[in-house]
Amino acid sequence: MISGGRGGKSAPSASSWAVSASGKRIQREMAELNLDPPPDCSAGPKGDNLYHWVATILGPQGTPYEGGIYFLDITFPSDYPFKPPKVVFKTRIFHCNVDTAGVLSLDILKDSWSPALTITKVLLAIRAIFTNPDPSDSPLIPGIARLYLADRAKHDELAAEWTRRFAK
Amino acid sequence: MPSVEPRSSPKDPENPDENGQNVDVVFSPRFKSVAAMAGWDEETLLIASLVVEDTPDRESKYKKRSDIQFKTPPTNSRRKRRAQRRSPISIPASVLDLDEEETARKGTENEKNKSEIKASVNDEKKIGAKESPEQNTRVSRSSSALPCMDKLKEELSCAICLEICFEPSTTPCGHSFCKKCLRSAADKCGKRCPKCRQLISNGRSCTVNTVLWNTIQLLFPQEVEARKAAGALNGRETVCQSPETAFYDNLNRSTRASGVSIRDTNARRRGIILSQDEDDAASSALRSQRGVEGQNQTPERGVHRNVRNLSTRPSRVSSRDTRVTRRRGMLSQDEDAALALRLQREEFLEVFSGADAQPSRPLYSARANLRAMASRAVNLRIIGRHL
Repeated sequence: MISGGRGGKSAPSASSWAVSASGKRIQREMAELNLDPPPDCSAGPKGDNLYHWVATILGPQGTPYEGGIYFLDITFPSDYPFKPPKVVFKTRIFHCNVDTAGVLSLDILKDSWSPALTITKVLLAIRAIFTNPDPSDSPLIPGIARLYLADRAKHDELAAEWTRRFAK
Repeated sequence: MPSVEPRSSPKDPENPDENGQNVDVVFSPRFKSVAAMAGWDEETLLIASLVVEDTPDRESKYKKRSDIQFKTPPTNSRRKRRAQRRSPISIPASVLDLDEEETARKGTENEKNKSEIKASVNDEKKIGAKESPEQNTRVSRSSSALPCMDKLKEELSCAICLEICFEPSTTPCGHSFCKKCLRSAADKCGKRCPKCRQLISNGRSCTVNTVLWNTIQLLFPQEVEARKAAGALNGRETVCQSPETAFYDNLNRSTRASGVSIRDTNARRRGIILSQDEDDAASSALRSQRGVEGQNQTPERGVHRNVRNLSTRPSRVSSRDTRVTRRRGMLSQDEDAALALRLQREEFLEVFSGADAQPSRPLYSARANLRAMASRAVNLRIIGRHL
C-alpha cells in the first residue's frame, strides 16, 4: 500500500524505504545547494516533482564557452543515491564529450558513480570538462576531439561561435 | 557505619524537627534494637550520624538552590553534562562545587563560610540565568552549544543519506556511513567504499561502530530520536516518542476512529451488540485494514437478535459509547448525538413499521459498507502520503 501511494511519483519499482530515502536525500541536497551553491552553477526542481531538476552552468572564464548559459536536465532515479542521476544538456554545445542530443559522457555519471557523490559534485565535474575536454577516452564526437587535439585554436573558435549562437 | 547511611540520608539535617538522627532526638526503639544486634551502642551511632550528615547536607542545599534557580529544575547530572559541554562557563561552576565541599567539611556554623556560600550561590544564579535561555530553546541548543556544532554535524553525517549517521558502520578504509546505507550501497553499487572506492571486504556483515554511535547519540539526541521515530513509523510500530510520531499517530487514530464510528453505526443498525472481545477483535481487524470483512462475518445473527435486544440496547450502547469515546479521546460530540438520533429513529421505525423495516436493511448495510470502504481508501491515502 505504501508503494501504491507513492508509485505515481516517478518511482516505478522500489521499496518504500528506498523511495522515501531518495526523496529525503534529494531534499537535503536542495537545501545544501541553496545554502552554498557551487561557483557558476545553479540547480533546483523543475516543478512539483522532486525527481526532475533543471540546472544551469555558466561557461567558465578563459574558455571558449565563456558568457554562455548552459541548461541541463537532471532526472533522479528512484533509488537515487545508489544509481547515478541522468544529466542531459538542453543547450547545444560544441564539445567532444557532449553529443548532439545533449548526452554527455562523464565517468562519474556511469560506472564510476558513487552514492557519496552529490549533484553539486556532478555540476562541478561538468564544469571541469568545459575547461578541460577529455578527447582521449572514447569521446562521443570524435571529430571535435580530433580537432581539439590537432588545431586547438580552430576548435576554440568554433566553440565560441556555437556559444554565441546557442548559449546566449 | 554504612548500614546507618541509608537511614539518615533522606532526612533534612537543616530541620532538626524532622531529623531523626539529631543529638536531641532519641533513636527509635526498633532501630536501636537492630543496632544493638549489630553490636553498636548509641554513642557510635550518634557519631556516625554526625559524620554522615555532611553528605546529605550538601546535596540538599544543592537541590534547594537549583529549586530557586529554575522553575523546572533539571537533574543534576544533566546540568553537569551540559556544563561540561559548555566549557568556559563550567569552569567556575566546578570550582565552586569544590569550595562548597570544603566548607561543608570544616563546619557549617562558620559565618565566613556561609557568606562565601552565599556568594557562590549568587554566582551560580548568574550562571543559571545564562543557561536557562539556552535550555528553553531546545532547537538552538544543538546548534549553538558548541561553536563547532555545525562542523561536527557535517563530519558525523553519512555521505549517502546526508543525515547524521544512524548506527554508523566503519569501513576498513576508515569511512563511516549508516549501517543501512552502507549495506544498500554494497548491494547496489558493488563492494567498494562510496568515499574512496577501496574494496570493502565484506559489505554484508556491517558492524556498528559503537564508540561513534554513542558519541552521535550524546551529541545529537534529537536527530537520533527523530530517525528512530521515523524508522519505527516505517516499521509500523507507532511508538509515541517524538511530537512528530505523535502527530502521525493522532492522524492515524483519527482516521481509524472514523472507521470505528461507521462500523459502530452499522452494527447498531443491525442490532449486533458485540462483546468487549468481539469489539476489540473487530477493531484490530480494522486496524489491519480489513474492517469491512470483519464485520461481515456476523450478519444474520444480528438481524435475529434485533427485536429481542431492543429493550436492553440503549443502556449497553451508552456504555459502549463512553468506551469508544474514551478510546478515541477526541471524537466530537456531534457525531455521537447524530448516532443517538439515528438510533432513535430506527427504533421508531421498527416499532411502527415492524416487518416492513427488514427489506431496507440490505440497502442500509450496503451503504454503510461503501462508506467504510471510502474511509479505508482515505486512510490508505493518508498513510501513503506520510510515509
